[in-house]
Amino acid sequence: MKSFEMPVGPLHVSLEEPMYFRIDVEGEEVAGIEITAGHVHRGIEYLTAKRNIYQNLALIERVCSLCSNSHPQAYCMGLEKIAGIEVPERAQYLRVIADEIKRAASNMFNVAILAHIVGFESLFMHVMEAREIMQDTKETVFGNRMDLAANVIGGVKFDIAEDRIAYVIAQLNRLEPILVKEIIPLYETNSSILSRTRGIGLINRDQCIDYGLMGPVARGSGYAYDVRSAAPYAVYDRLDVDVITYPDGDVWSRAMVRLKEVVEAIRLMRLCLRELPEGPLTSGPLPFIPAGEAITKVEAPRGELIYYLKTDGTDIPARVKWRVPTYMNWDALEVMMVGGRISDIPLIVNSIDPCISCTER
Amino acid sequence: MAFLKILFDNLRKGPATEAFPFGEAATPDAYRGKVTFDETNCVGCNMCEHVCAGGAIRFSEQEDGLHFLIWHNTCISCGLCAHYCPTKAIKLSNDWHLSHLQEEKYEQVDHAVVPYRHCTSCGERLQPGGPMLHQLAFKGTNPRSQRLMNMCPDCRRKASYSGEAL
Repeated sequence: MKSFEMPVGPLHVSLEEPMYFRIDVEGEEVAGIEITAGHVHRGIEYLTAKRNIYQNLALIERVCSLCSNSHPQAYCMGLEKIAGIEVPERAQYLRVIADEIKRAASNMFNVAILAHIVGFESLFMHVMEAREIMQDTKETVFGNRMDLAANVIGGVKFDIAEDRIAYVIAQLNRLEPILVKEIIPLYETNSSILSRTRGIGLINRDQCIDYGLMGPVARGSGYAYDVRSAAPYAVYDRLDVDVITYPDGDVWSRAMVRLKEVVEAIRLMRLCLRELPEGPLTSGPLPFIPAGEAITKVEAPRGELIYYLKTDGTDIPARVKWRVPTYMNWDALEVMMVGGRISDIPLIVNSIDPCISCTER
Repeated sequence: MAFLKILFDNLRKGPATEAFPFGEAATPDAYRGKVTFDETNCVGCNMCEHVCAGGAIRFSEQEDGLHFLIWHNTCISCGLCAHYCPTKAIKLSNDWHLSHLQEEKYEQVDHAVVPYRHCTSCGERLQPGGPMLHQLAFKGTNPRSQRLMNMCPDCRRKASYSGEAL
């Protein structure tokens, strides 16, 4: 059998983000893979130490578009921890709503791209159209389709008044039947989807733990780790988050975890809207942030996002560092890809829901 | 085969996209669009300039007053300025019609002057508080507070103590 080396990337491997792989190929089979990173390094961590804590809210939100709420949330939680700020209860609930609405839209986007790679364009369109319900909701509640700008230090800067609650619930009522009655059964039974995604990109539970994998990738291999239940933040401890796992660890399982998580996100949003207490949205006007350090973590759509913050008593942070789930998930591609076919590479890459702009910042 | 029904349903529903530019595109009230500035309520605290992530807002002190400048092309519509503005003099409108010709790119600027006043007692230059600040601080105004509002801090203290503004 003839073996050769094949470059994949750096442009548009599965998503419109630069990833570069050098792949050793034997016939149709992938024998080895070398990952080259660093194509979209923008130096954002450095920039955070050049801007004040308020400006960083907007900067950090723009690290990545799909998990753009998780970053400021972890950042705000860190500053609140350092300053000992108590976030009002209403704001905590609203933060969960912002988090879950982003998760719903992000997961549906990834699953839609899966259909696109399979070549099932009409399903891709259908999922994207359903996702548009969430996009419209975000625009109506937060004022933007992607960058919610929901968090400020000590609370949130948006509110969901009574009439808005009715609107959001109506939108959720529109999305849920499409998801549960049309999209999920299609991904479960459609032969085009199943033949391209089942048994592909395999990774088992032990390998997930070895590689420190996070989020839907780990949960698709039966490793039930979710920050929302393992180390609850905001009001997740009261919501009893259902951690969805699938045992097989293939591309299909990861997609199913994501789809079921959208259903769970809808449930959590409903719960928060019902329980939403009255009260202030922020803890006060301007916080004083003393010198200190904090580590916080949140469950981004792709998995555990960890923030480290160090302040020196001024309003410019001394250091902001984050670790994103894609960093580990990306590395595990060498396990998932080896032994697979060339034609499955985009599907496997997409199955980790790579967020390169987060990873390379 | 299950998808055929969905395809048929979608076909029956017609286009899912908005008719823009031939029809109106729906814009929600909360939409974060072009920044607007109300110079009568600005108190010159410069907080919006401080929090502006892109550095789109600039203040400069000049003879006639405080000059406010916003570069709309640098603005990222994060809404931090509006959130931290104590008197809500700066707001985000629903206007998203920001496209323009390349040669007009340096003209996408709004300029406003918050004029200085002069103390009615000694003539000293002062930054006016604006009606909204008085509303926030004193829950309204009365003739006395309006007289005091147009004095510099020193004269205000004296007038207030001696009772002459009563």
